[in-house]
Amino acid sequence: MRALLDASFSADFGEVHALVGENGAGKSTMIKILSGLLRPDAGTLRVRGSQVDFRSPHVARALGVGTVFQELTLMPSLTVAENLFLRNEPQGRARLIRRRELAPRAREVFARLGINGIDPDELPPALSLAHRQVIEIARALLRDPEILFLDEPTSALAEQEVEWLFRLVRDLREQGKCVIFTSHRWGEVADLADRITIFRNGEHVATRRQLTEGEAVTLMTGRTIDRMYPERPPLAHDAPVVLEVRDLRGEQMKGISFALRRGEILGVGGLAGQGQRDLFMTLFGARKLAGGELRINGQAQRIRKPSDAIRLRMGIALVPEDRKTEGLMLPMSVRDNLTLAVLGRVAFGGVLKRSTEQAYVRRAIQRLHIRTTRPSVQEMATLSGGNQQKVLIGRWLLAESDILLFYDITRGVDVGTKHDIYELMMELVAEGKSLLFYSSETEEVARLCHRVLVMREGRVAAELTGPSTDAEAIVAASVREDAA
Amino acid sequence: MTAGAETITPEPRWRKLLASLTPDRRRVLYAFGAAALVFAVGELLHPGFGSTASIKAILVIASFVGFVAAGQTLVILVGGIDLSVPWVLNGAAILLVTSSLGRDGRAAQAVLLTLALGLLTGLVNGLGIAYLAVPAVVMTLGMNGIMEGLTLGVSKGLTCGSCASYAPKAVQDVVRSNVLGVPADLFLWLAVAAAMTFLLSATTFGRRIYAIGNNNTAAFLAGINVRLMTVVLYMLSGLFAALGGIVLVAYGGQATLGMGDPYLFQSIAAAVIGGVSILGGRGHYLGTLAGSITLVALVSVLLAENMPDWGRSVVYGGAILVILLAYGRERQQL
Amino acid sequence: MTSVTQVTPYRSRTRFQHFTIQSAPLLLALIILAGMTGLYVGLFYRQLSRFPGNFELTSVVNTSMPLVFAAVGQSIVVLTRGLDLSVGGMIDLTNSLAATHMHAGAGSMLVWSLLVLLVGAAGGAINGVLVAYGRLQPILVTLATLSIYQGLAIKTLPAPGGSVPLEYTKILANPNDPTGLGFVALIVVIWLVFRRTRLGVDIFAIGNDEEAARAHGVRVRATKIGAYVLSGTFAAAGGLFLAATTTSGDATSGDVFVLTSIAAVVLGGISFFGGRGSAIGTVAGAFILTLLINVLFFASIDPLYQSFFQGLFLVVAILLGTLIRRLVGMRG
Repeated sequence: MRALLDASFSADFGEVHALVGENGAGKSTMIKILSGLLRPDAGTLRVRGSQVDFRSPHVARALGVGTVFQELTLMPSLTVAENLFLRNEPQGRARLIRRRELAPRAREVFARLGINGIDPDELPPALSLAHRQVIEIARALLRDPEILFLDEPTSALAEQEVEWLFRLVRDLREQGKCVIFTSHRWGEVADLADRITIFRNGEHVATRRQLTEGEAVTLMTGRTIDRMYPERPPLAHDAPVVLEVRDLRGEQMKGISFALRRGEILGVGGLAGQGQRDLFMTLFGARKLAGGELRINGQAQRIRKPSDAIRLRMGIALVPEDRKTEGLMLPMSVRDNLTLAVLGRVAFGGVLKRSTEQAYVRRAIQRLHIRTTRPSVQEMATLSGGNQQKVLIGRWLLAESDILLFYDITRGVDVGTKHDIYELMMELVAEGKSLLFYSSETEEVARLCHRVLVMREGRVAAELTGPSTDAEAIVAASVREDAA
Repeated sequence: MTAGAETITPEPRWRKLLASLTPDRRRVLYAFGAAALVFAVGELLHPGFGSTASIKAILVIASFVGFVAAGQTLVILVGGIDLSVPWVLNGAAILLVTSSLGRDGRAAQAVLLTLALGLLTGLVNGLGIAYLAVPAVVMTLGMNGIMEGLTLGVSKGLTCGSCASYAPKAVQDVVRSNVLGVPADLFLWLAVAAAMTFLLSATTFGRRIYAIGNNNTAAFLAGINVRLMTVVLYMLSGLFAALGGIVLVAYGGQATLGMGDPYLFQSIAAAVIGGVSILGGRGHYLGTLAGSITLVALVSVLLAENMPDWGRSVVYGGAILVILLAYGRERQQL
Repeated sequence: MTSVTQVTPYRSRTRFQHFTIQSAPLLLALIILAGMTGLYVGLFYRQLSRFPGNFELTSVVNTSMPLVFAAVGQSIVVLTRGLDLSVGGMIDLTNSLAATHMHAGAGSMLVWSLLVLLVGAAGGAINGVLVAYGRLQPILVTLATLSIYQGLAIKTLPAPGGSVPLEYTKILANPNDPTGLGFVALIVVIWLVFRRTRLGVDIFAIGNDEEAARAHGVRVRATKIGAYVLSGTFAAAGGLFLAATTTSGDATSGDVFVLTSIAAVVLGGISFFGGRGSAIGTVAGAFILTLLINVLFFASIDPLYQSFFQGLFLVVAILLGTLIRRLVGMRG
């Protein structure tokens, strides 16, 4: 599957350039290529007019490129100071690293950059996602790069931290460096960027100095904003509550309560790393519940493992944390992936019944318009990202789940399929299913959901309903510093 | 009739067939091809190598590897490994002779007891790996040491009174007698192969194994009890190692110390040659079967060449590396 | 100037607390070593009514040295999330080479020591290249090279025999005084230096997260080869010490080191997931294993059961390590 088809753009020194596009448009792939992590199949790269070949990240660095990747790359067993200076350590005699200087120097660097409260001897897993993001930014800046790439640098940062970053970026511009960043938040893009380049489906669409949000969305999606997102089926007044949780406590949840009604799409928003994933995993029984109550259709239930949740007609579609794999078995066939949760139903006494299985598979494929030639043989890995997500959702349709937990399912998916998934979501709730929905694109959450719960620090900081619930409102509720 | 109409030459059938096969199935074919190649080379170097008698003899020896490799295949499929095979096998062999004392009357009990030993060691392995998060390499390595110590200690270094017993005649017959001109042991292997293939390809149990091996988090989220399955698979691996011990001692008559050692390398190599990925999630027992045959045939060719002990080890290791490089390479992670 | 401040309060720790928590596995190894030493001393006294003296210490040190070297080499590979099963074969080969070719005389001893170390490095390089460029799994590669090196060892020395010059034994495995401890100190120094080299840091980085390391400019393939070369060289050194201690050669005496080197690494607190641990712990682990055998002897336990206790110890040690890690909040 090609992530970039014909992508070109150029950025100047002394400029802040924003790269904008939907999930799956190719921004991250572009940044990986420009950082030397991936090699392009074709095309040329020029820095200062002369052609370069970023054969490896090593080479890219030597040529003055610095990158903060979307997936954080802090080494979990190295201290903050060791991470900060990785491959850039203070050296002494015989080029041996001066380990004793690492922590004090780290403090100096933090002080210089205006960062407080991070202990250089701490290990990354003990830090919040926001702090890890800050450290990654500091690490990239340490090398004094000429060209700095920031891929979604603010996804976990609160208001103050975002302001801090902006200041740094503007300083870099004054110094004549080139900063290229991506963001899903239009406000930030408009605020910070000198020029904006728009990608769609792996291709360069436009580069402008000025753009309204509406224009940007149209360029990003190829549709106007109204036609991108389908009509939401109205929620009945008397819709019964299907899922009710009270004071849920877990590793990152400090007391969450909410109710989900039949036919409702309930959104979960907030900055990245505020406990949303913990919520989804715990609801599904994949993580231990430390406290709190859960009711399904009015009855108290204890979900201790995923099979309990499945029995209670819950289904989950999410991408596991390991960035190399999906919630799918890529080398296995489409058929195998689809029927994984209903193996008991397509078998007799443990032996698979091909005909029953085929029927199930056909049902799912038709329902979801999954593009596959021979589902019993075709490997998942050969499907497009969008079709892969459909199979993942199909698995739960076959399991007849009534409560669906969708966690960031549009990541890496092209625009066309995204639209299909949105329409599917609307069909599902029209049939009477209920959806708990999280996405890293706030726009989606705003447009698709009846209600939005904004999470911060393991709690529900705000609940937004009504016509004024848009992306801006959600972001505002996410970053507000005052107590919830 | 389409007289005069243009006919397009249809693509050769075998090519279509080959293309329609998944890479995994193709590897199984290659493994059988490799076995055939070794036999061909052997026949060239030593006329008579490819004779029916010779092939039968090699197949019997390959079956010993095949039994042990069945268990190894199962745990490798879920991304694990069983390094305790050598001394589970050895311990099982000794247990069989000492508990049966060569008497047919006690054969059934002895066999059951021995298989139970295999299940038990597998249980301990599985519990440690699945529930206590001990890495498979460490757990099974430790278990191997435990079994070695127990076996040596309890049998007093194989000098105990009953240690020199033979395997019961009934058991020996299963391995050594001929049925319709074919060694009975090969029928046993066929049964095992059929059972394994059925298990892996046609049951929900098998489907779950592949799911776990490919992505155990996703398998967990689909409701599969990964830990329980892991324990069961290690128990089966222990069972097959014990079975290997029973068959070996029935074939050789008496138990010896160190009889299990070659089977660690061979069981793993057979699986890998057969296309089973060491990372898990891919492969079939039929491949392992072919791999066992290839391995044993290779050793036989080397023996026939009068190659000294040391040369065999070197060529062995070298051949494995060549085969691994040919198609055992893991796909570049994305 | 706007600054990023602490948003969520967290327990702040002192430098000392950090050090203790992050070195917990190493400290555990040292504690076990102390415990094992105490047990040994106690049982020895009970059996012989006197405390172990210079002779016993020398003997323990000399017996441990081969394992110390083999295990330190193994540690480096395990840190990259790999495994080197060929150390057994390498020790077979190197001790055989030493016993066959080394003659009395400083020249011969020096030349052959260097040659043997070179053989170790070459063997390690083969492993490294196959893993890094061949993209083969370490366990499979080293299982195959184990077989190859074992074969070469038997070719070199078909039956136990050969001899090692007396002077060599005096230097490496002094029978009168525990001068071997000097070599242990040397290893500790080497380790501390290693931690401060580019290669050392890169090895830890790869073990933590290979992809992230690559993204930061680490030359993953070259580093992996370096790790295996080091392992091979250390294994070769282990073979030299083995030859010196036993004063002769045996082409199969190295086989046991596959299990024991991994056991020492585990006891030393190095994580099998890579990227974490100290070879100093491994050194302690090697001594623990040697003392264990002595403890079993003085506890009058039938030597046939030795492997049982070694295996049991291995499993218990790793369980303890996991428990400690969970308690201090590190991930398993």
